[in-house]
Amino acid sequence: MSNPYQSPVGKLKTLLLSGDARFWTLLALATRSARDFEELFLLSSLRKKAHARKLNPPKSGKEKIRLAILGGYSLYPLHELVEHLCEVENFPVELWQGDYDNYISEIMDDASGLYEFAPQVVFMLPAERRCVYTGKLTDARVLQQTEAQGVVDGLLDLARRVNEKTRAEVILTNFMLPARHDLGTYRSRTLGSDWSFRKWVNLELGLAAPAYLHVCDWEFLASRVGGLAARDERAWFESKQPCSSALLVELAREAAQLIGSFKRAPKKVLVLDLDNTLWGGVVADDGLEGIELGDTSPRGEAFKAFQKYIVSLKQRGVLLAVCSKNDFAKAAEPFEKHPDMVLRMEDIVCFKANWEPKSENIRAMAPELNLGLDSFVFVDDNPAEIDIVRQFVPEVTTILLGPDPSDYVAQLADCRLFEPKSITGEDAERTGQYRSDAERKALEATVTDMDSYLESLQMEAVISEFTPVDVPRLSQLINKSNQFNLTTRRRSEAEVIAVMNDSNFVGYSVRLKDRFGDHGLIGIVIGEKAGDTMRVDTWLMSCRVLKRQVEEETLNELVRLAQARGVRRIEGAYLPTAKNEMVRDFYGRMGFTLTAESETKREFELRLESYQPVPTKIKIIRRAYEPS
Amino acid sequence: MNQAEVIAQLQSIFDTIFLEPVVLTPTISAKDVPEWDSLTHISLMVSVEKSFGVRFRVGEVENAKNIGEFADLIIKRKQEP
Repeated sequence: MSNPYQSPVGKLKTLLLSGDARFWTLLALATRSARDFEELFLLSSLRKKAHARKLNPPKSGKEKIRLAILGGYSLYPLHELVEHLCEVENFPVELWQGDYDNYISEIMDDASGLYEFAPQVVFMLPAERRCVYTGKLTDARVLQQTEAQGVVDGLLDLARRVNEKTRAEVILTNFMLPARHDLGTYRSRTLGSDWSFRKWVNLELGLAAPAYLHVCDWEFLASRVGGLAARDERAWFESKQPCSSALLVELAREAAQLIGSFKRAPKKVLVLDLDNTLWGGVVADDGLEGIELGDTSPRGEAFKAFQKYIVSLKQRGVLLAVCSKNDFAKAAEPFEKHPDMVLRMEDIVCFKANWEPKSENIRAMAPELNLGLDSFVFVDDNPAEIDIVRQFVPEVTTILLGPDPSDYVAQLADCRLFEPKSITGEDAERTGQYRSDAERKALEATVTDMDSYLESLQMEAVISEFTPVDVPRLSQLINKSNQFNLTTRRRSEAEVIAVMNDSNFVGYSVRLKDRFGDHGLIGIVIGEKAGDTMRVDTWLMSCRVLKRQVEEETLNELVRLAQARGVRRIEGAYLPTAKNEMVRDFYGRMGFTLTAESETKREFELRLESYQPVPTKIKIIRRAYEPS
Repeated sequence: MNQAEVIAQLQSIFDTIFLEPVVLTPTISAKDVPEWDSLTHISLMVSVEKSFGVRFRVGEVENAKNIGEFADLIIKRKQEP
């Protein structure tokens, strides 16, 4: 047997047989580093044996995600790997498996076991043998294209149908490409070849996918594994396996990654070391001219390429920070003066160069940026610095850069921490927002009277009912907002759409801008009407706009919408979490009365007959459910 | 490699994969080992092929009735150039 997995497996077996709960921590670590199918599979069977022996994971009892897997292949053992990966990463799934190649009727038949199961996530693997052109290679291109479009439409229809009936998020695999020389160069001269036909279908499928449909890119995964290594014809003939066991592992990892991402926010801040991370050498020793950066040496080129990649992360909304053991002036000099620096001071929202431990510097960044430490990622080439951050701020994710700067980009590009679910225009402008926050704070310091400060901001708000175009941004904020969030109820895009289409709910968002910039969408409220009562299901706000009277305007609007629907009282609840202490007394401050209190919930009510709208310094440009 | 040597090497693979110890003999088969279900079987075959550096032909593994026949099949495939 190959050696790498001998050791963790032996240790796991010992822990398992002695009923030691550290089994689960080691199992998660071993699972993350497992690459081979048999290794992962073995870990999964140990997990099942732990369950059989009643050695349960520490957080067991957690509600399971209901996951249906169906498709044109044997889904066994794929389902086993997906179940394992989800469970060790702390989002256990309850599985329903379709029968071999029965997915179309399972979706079309309203009385099928699929619908009885009521899945929250559906993972569908359509059969590649149905993604072929049925005519001749020499047919007119328009005929071939029509048939390819038909395949795309058929898949989109299936996904729509299953989503309409269950509101589930749908994960749909696209198609692997052939890896044999068959047809030679003619392969790409016709849409009728499997090669071109599937490429066209994959492309159109990705571009046309609605918000609830997540394409699991099998073509991409196969190309990572390698075309020939991706397939295993014997496994197809013997047991209807969709691909080689090596690719099966990648497919399971991708599915688990997608399932996990539905309710998990991407990271927001990338904290960068300087010496030997952004440039080669030590600027304090080597001087501005001595550091390796730029097109004059291969190493310098590699560091410059890394900086370019980091800028591309910033453009998709990642905030950049610096944390370096250095004199501030020396550390800042390359950013200001080096001609080959791609990163400049204005790209960095928080610059810490001093002699304090990096763990303390990063801890201090969180309140300055109003973000939780769990949204930080720290990158350094020095294992000692990585270790100190891991030990003292374990909430921060760390990346230890390898010895070769030409691998730096690949390390970040494969880290899977900064993947946008859907890129919203507001992400790209975020650095601007955080920087103008700093300018705003400077103004705050000069204006003594709060009222005149708020007035000087020239704030304007647009309040809007939920709209289809806002859905990605709404779901993003609902899933990542922790601090100013009364109930911390998470909702996927499909669930936001469900609220939007249910007339018992009111759902609206608040956008704010002021003379320093546009904050974008910063507040969300969802209320559910029952008789003469409106229950506040969700109330959250971005902490960047705290105490700007957005709270008051949000309540004014809620009362207005409630009264228009014949509501006499509003009920609000505070559900405490580790992060939302700041809104514990929010309803009290807003004039609500406390009606019940327990460890897990504080309930409030507001009677509307005596409510007077609170005057503010915000100009309301538009209100919800009204023609603009 | 003779049958006994192959079975000895198989034993170490089985020791890794199975939690309850199994003592392999030429006459033992899947139905004698409670943990040896069809899922475990897939994993076993992947490990055996890697460990011995062989590749079985389509359908031939299921024709082996017990560990002895399976060991003979491994020997046969190992003798191929």
